[in-house]
Amino acid sequence: MNPDLPGAGRNGRTPGGPAAGPERVRVTGPRARGTLSPGRFTVSHELDEQSEVGELFIRSLIRSQLRLALVVAGGFGAIVLGVLLLVLFFPGSYGVTVWTVPLPWLLLGLGIYPVLLACAGLYNRAAARNERRFRELVSEPER
Amino acid sequence: MNPAAGFAALAAVCAATVLIGIYGLRISRTTGDFYVASRTVPPWWNASAIGGEYLSAASFLGVAGLILVSGLHGLWFPIGYTAGYLMLLLFVAAPLRRSGAYTVPDFAAARLDSRPARLVTSAVVVVVGWLYIVPQLHGAALTVRITTGLPGWAGAAAVVLVVVCSVVTGGMRSITFVQAFQFWLKLTALAVPLFFILLALGSGSRPVDTGGAFLPGAGPLPVYGTISLLVALLFGTLGLPHVLVRFYTNPNGPAARRTTVIVLGLLSVFYLFPTVYGVLGRVHTADLAAAGQADATVLLLPGRVVGGMAGDLLTALVTAGAFAAFLSTTSGLVVSLAGVVSQDLFRGSVKGFRRAAVLSALVPLAVALSTDSLALAGSVGTVFAFTASTICPLLLLGIWWRGLTDAGAITGMLAGALLSGGAILLAAVFGTGLGPFRELLEQPAAWSVPAAFLVTIAVSRATAPRRPASVSRMMARLHAPERT
Repeated sequence: MNPDLPGAGRNGRTPGGPAAGPERVRVTGPRARGTLSPGRFTVSHELDEQSEVGELFIRSLIRSQLRLALVVAGGFGAIVLGVLLLVLFFPGSYGVTVWTVPLPWLLLGLGIYPVLLACAGLYNRAAARNERRFRELVSEPER
Repeated sequence: MNPAAGFAALAAVCAATVLIGIYGLRISRTTGDFYVASRTVPPWWNASAIGGEYLSAASFLGVAGLILVSGLHGLWFPIGYTAGYLMLLLFVAAPLRRSGAYTVPDFAAARLDSRPARLVTSAVVVVVGWLYIVPQLHGAALTVRITTGLPGWAGAAAVVLVVVCSVVTGGMRSITFVQAFQFWLKLTALAVPLFFILLALGSGSRPVDTGGAFLPGAGPLPVYGTISLLVALLFGTLGLPHVLVRFYTNPNGPAARRTTVIVLGLLSVFYLFPTVYGVLGRVHTADLAAAGQADATVLLLPGRVVGGMAGDLLTALVTAGAFAAFLSTTSGLVVSLAGVVSQDLFRGSVKGFRRAAVLSALVPLAVALSTDSLALAGSVGTVFAFTASTICPLLLLGIWWRGLTDAGAITGMLAGALLSGGAILLAAVFGTGLGPFRELLEQPAAWSVPAAFLVTIAVSRATAPRRPASVSRMMARLHAPERT
């Protein structure tokens, strides 16, 4: 049984996920992600054995991912707070205009979004890097 | 405006939705297809669908209306709606996808190994979904009243009818098609008229900005209100049931993260348009604010500025986009609610899913028909506050903290629901009679979200022996990367 799919296959089919039958191929798109079945081969299943070393690795992975997420969220929060304070308490910022649009409108209507995207992109790369390191650590001894 | 154009636009959107739904039906076969499209949707497609589902009446009509009324402070709404996805990316996207559950209650049951926790979560999800559908139906009523002259209830009923038909026939698979289509329809429906509006304003030497558009609003500085709103929007998005269920359609954790980044990009581009409509509305449709019809800004601006036949066509396009917004958000919510209700009441069969879908759409219709429309963006904002106070602590602590117990999760959700729901109700009933406390009660997120977290943590600590035995395995499942 594939534990990744609780409740699936109640109509009698095996919960084979994306690789279940030939008709699935039609809808997986050009990237053919259907060939990898996540969940079935995850590292977590090896770690199901509950070895102390595996547990230690997982704990350190969770810690580093959480730290990364908190740092990115904190950075974004600080920027938003800065803009908020500027807009609320420095009416002088309305005097700065680009094409007749005052600075607070530019910051809130336009400027925050690239910051948001930059945060997301940075986080995405760093999170993938954390996972790659973990994978190297875990899979090395058995290959 | 010309009612014929409005009718044509509504009919076209409804027809397109049903047709794409039928096309989806032909390739949706298994129970897995029905619930979550068998998790095979590629990131770009899935991101368009998430955007299509997320951009509701509040985004399409409400943001411009809010900017018309409150100026600069209205801009915090689209920022919060978008930044909510950053929080989702940081704390929830990949682990939730790896949890392998279909719905939030599935997640609660798997993580906490507890049937009561599952039932309480289900109840909260259903309440959130219903509360969120009601403003969509109010938006539909407003749109139909303004563009065709029909009574408002016809719009709400039409939305429910189309949604129930497409969900019951195709399930999630066809919904994914429909929603991806509707995101691009909504973007086009705002971008094309805006292009012609700016062209008309430019060539007619009419002022784009008479100087009044950017004036700071009068009155006291909304410091508390703004912060509380941001807390609600940032932490509410990651608990919305129709947003979460979409992440299960990603093939794996990294794909879930990629999808979220694309969604952030799509939303960032989209919200530029309602913002410009709002700014132009402050000059050209300023009378709507006094008439209490600010939410109609997007619908009326093209006709006011361009006029004539071209104006009618542009209005029809905007109307189509607005209807796409109501349809897509409502159908997303109905799918996720039906998933939850059918698993708990009808044992997860396809037939049960269909029954649950009908049930999930009819209840909010009854509520919408018996209540009056508030400002759309505002009423959706209160739903975010409720979600942030209930589902958000369960998800965040469940994913990142081993110490969470079922007792802690249940009391936390109930405390958050009572505090935020009670505050919003009090504010609605007593209104101005509350004096200085009114703002605190109208926007409870700034205190109700931390309170819900504290209750959850305190009760979990006190009931530490109830920690599920499976917690280590579950944490490994949530966070360990897939091998490829």
